[in-house]
Formats: sequence, C-alpha cells, structure tokens
Amino acid sequence: MKTKKTMTLNLTDAEMTALDELASAKDLTKTSVLRQALRLYQMVDHRARSGDKMFFENDASKEKTELMFL
Amino acid sequence: MAVHRIFLVASQTQESVEAQLHDAANAELLTRWEREWVPDLERAKQQLAAKNVPRAEWPHDLHWDWRKKLAYYKGLLGVETFAILCLERLQGLMMINLTKDARLAEQKGKPLVYVDFLQTAPWNRVDLVGSRQFEGIGTSLLLAAIARSEHEGFHGRIGLHSLPQSEGYYRTKLGMSDLGPDSLKQQLRYFEVSPEQARRLREEI
Repeated sequence: MKTKKTMTLNLTDAEMTALDELASAKDLTKTSVLRQALRLYQMVDHRARSGDKMFFENDASKEKTELMFL
Repeated sequence: MAVHRIFLVASQTQESVEAQLHDAANAELLTRWEREWVPDLERAKQQLAAKNVPRAEWPHDLHWDWRKKLAYYKGLLGVETFAILCLERLQGLMMINLTKDARLAEQKGKPLVYVDFLQTAPWNRVDLVGSRQFEGIGTSLLLAAIARSEHEGFHGRIGLHSLPQSEGYYRTKLGMSDLGPDSLKQQLRYFEVSPEQARRLREEI
C-alpha cells in the first residue's frame, strides 16, 4: 500500500457542483475524480511537452478542433 | 513496490507453483527482460525469417521494447506496470493506463483500467516454442488489472486491444465483450470487461 498524505481543499460552490456532477456521471468518489483529473492533466502536459497535439473530433461531422494549452 | 503471492500452473505436471506479482517493473526486472527474454525473441524472429514467414504474420509483439516503453511513461501517474516472477525468472509483464474511459454502451464514459501492453515470457508461448512452462500468466495479470480497477473505484472495468493471436483467449476463455475492430488502432479488436463480468471473472478464476 502506497503512503498517502492528506490535504485540505477549498472549493467554491460552482467548483463543488462540478465535482459532484463529475463524480455522479463517472461513477466515482469525489477523491477519485480529483485523482483522475491530476493523472489526466499530467498525461496531457507530458504529451504536449513531447511535441504531441490534442484534438477533439466530432463523431458525426468528423470535424477536428485542436485543444490549446497556454 | 509491493509484491503479492500468486500461483501459476506448471504445464507439464498441472501442479500449482508459487509466484510473485510485482506492482511495478523496476530496473532489476527490466534487466531480467533484456537478459532472459530478448535473446529468445531475437531467435524467434530469425527462425520466422528463415522460414520465409511474411512479417505481417509474425506475432505483433516480438518487437516490443519494454525499456523504451517504461522510459517514455516514467513518473506519470496514469501509467503503471506489473510483473510476474516465478522460479527466479521473469514470466510476464503488463503496462496499464488509468486515464481511459469505457466504451460499452451501459458503461460509456466511465473510467477503466486500459491494458496497454501484456506479454508473457517466450518459454510460455505456444506460438513461439510450441509448448509452455507455465499457464495462467496472462490471466493473472488481467486479474491484477481488475483488482487495480476495483481499488481505484473503477468497479473492475478493464479494456484492451487484442493482438490477432490472442482474440480467442479474450473472447472465448475470458468472456470479454468484443466491440469489434478499431480503425484508430490498426484495426485491432477492442475488448472490455464490465463490472458484472469482472465480478464473474474474479469468482470463476
């Protein structure tokens, strides 16, 4: 079992609502949503730093839009 | 790195043999891969070439370079590796990705453990050496992926793209859902395990 550290997180109402909705939609606990968000952000950042681009493709129109990172 | 006790089946005697499941492939395990697997895999490639077997028909995983794969994903929270050791030899390796979502209609959009790469030692492969020393390596690694999925709150969901030589194993032996060829993944067939299927697999195997 990996050692875990505790942190306190202060969220606005809107942020907490978004977290609740994601947890419900993804069938995850709120902690798991935040952990998943960190994994995804780190993965996307790693790929972007490696020279990769990230696109969203519309399933119907096949139109692609690049996701920009600032 | 944690080590868990598991059991494999010796093919010749059908007896259970104790093995160790490592939840991270470290430098020592990579050295084992280079020393124990690579020479056999190179020999297999030479034999296929000598028999004039077209490259398209070679097992697709013969060229996998685990050192490169691990180096690329080093430090990323979304990628983890597992390894099985038995009788002081590396028997299997698996890399999983925790950042993918399910595709089954009733699970769509929910997170799963995606099995990016799974490979067993050359001496455990009928397609390479005509026999195998141990059985159950792929199954043990997939059960580890299911356990990881449950621990992460993904309810046992896992998914993978199968190499052509393994499709029957995933579809028939494990009863995974076959979602067909994926045009974004070289037409490899995509298989998935739902929470219900995961429960069944854990009970039956």
